[in-house]
Amino acid sequence: MQPQAVISMHMSNVETIPGKTITSSLGLVTGSTVRAKHIGKDIFAGLKNIVGGELKAYTELLNESRNEALQRMIMQAHGMGANAVVNVRFATSNVASGASELFCYGTAVIVA
Amino acid sequence: MAEGTAIAVGFYALLILIPFLFPFISWALGRWYQGTLLTALNEEEKRLGSMLQNAEQSSTAPETKSMRATSSTLLHVSICVGPSIGQMFIMWAKGIFGGRLQSYDAVLDYGRREVLLRLKKQADSLDCTSIQNIRIETSVISFAKNGNENKRSSVEFLAFATGLRF
Repeated sequence: MQPQAVISMHMSNVETIPGKTITSSLGLVTGSTVRAKHIGKDIFAGLKNIVGGELKAYTELLNESRNEALQRMIMQAHGMGANAVVNVRFATSNVASGASELFCYGTAVIVA
Repeated sequence: MAEGTAIAVGFYALLILIPFLFPFISWALGRWYQGTLLTALNEEEKRLGSMLQNAEQSSTAPETKSMRATSSTLLHVSICVGPSIGQMFIMWAKGIFGGRLQSYDAVLDYGRREVLLRLKKQADSLDCTSIQNIRIETSVISFAKNGNENKRSSVEFLAFATGLRF
């Protein structure tokens, strides 16, 4: 997989970009990633299960994954010529044994 | 002869107790550890209590007073929590008769409060003075392989919102 450039883009989970005006709507953009844990984190999480509470290894894994999914969505929006994504939503689902999918979607727009 | 019988009875009693001993130790350790987490969370909530607390500053309403905002950013934080093995054992036992699962309640309550606190901290660190359209999503995370049901109890809380700067 090629390293992706980090592109900054206006994003919000409301229908507008506060302080900006939407001049054009370009349609749906999505980004997703499927991640499985690695064995080291799993062993640590298994030990952490003895006392419960926050499973930091999984929290970090999911955060990294979500950021990657967001970055993919941004890349798609950038490819369409958008400079903002509004109404961003997230979804998490178990797609296979030992793996989870992190999915995000929104509407690509041009703001001025 | 009697001594041998006593040793044998003790051995078999131990064999029966061992499966309950580990969940009990886990429950006791988990209760102590989660207690310390809750105490820390309570103190943190008190310390940051006034931050982004009123309806103007934090809201679930999609309608924002966005026209006044100069800029915005998407905020998102998540936390993955799970009960201890002892709590899962108690849940399994309670599942026979049903009723309120207090130990699981406590874990989920902790996760939800913690994620909201982290969202506010993220907003503050990004100089946002208002959080609008707050959404909290809960999902069961299964990283368990080979159908290991025990690990299915990990729950992820995701909080996301739009942070506004005025």
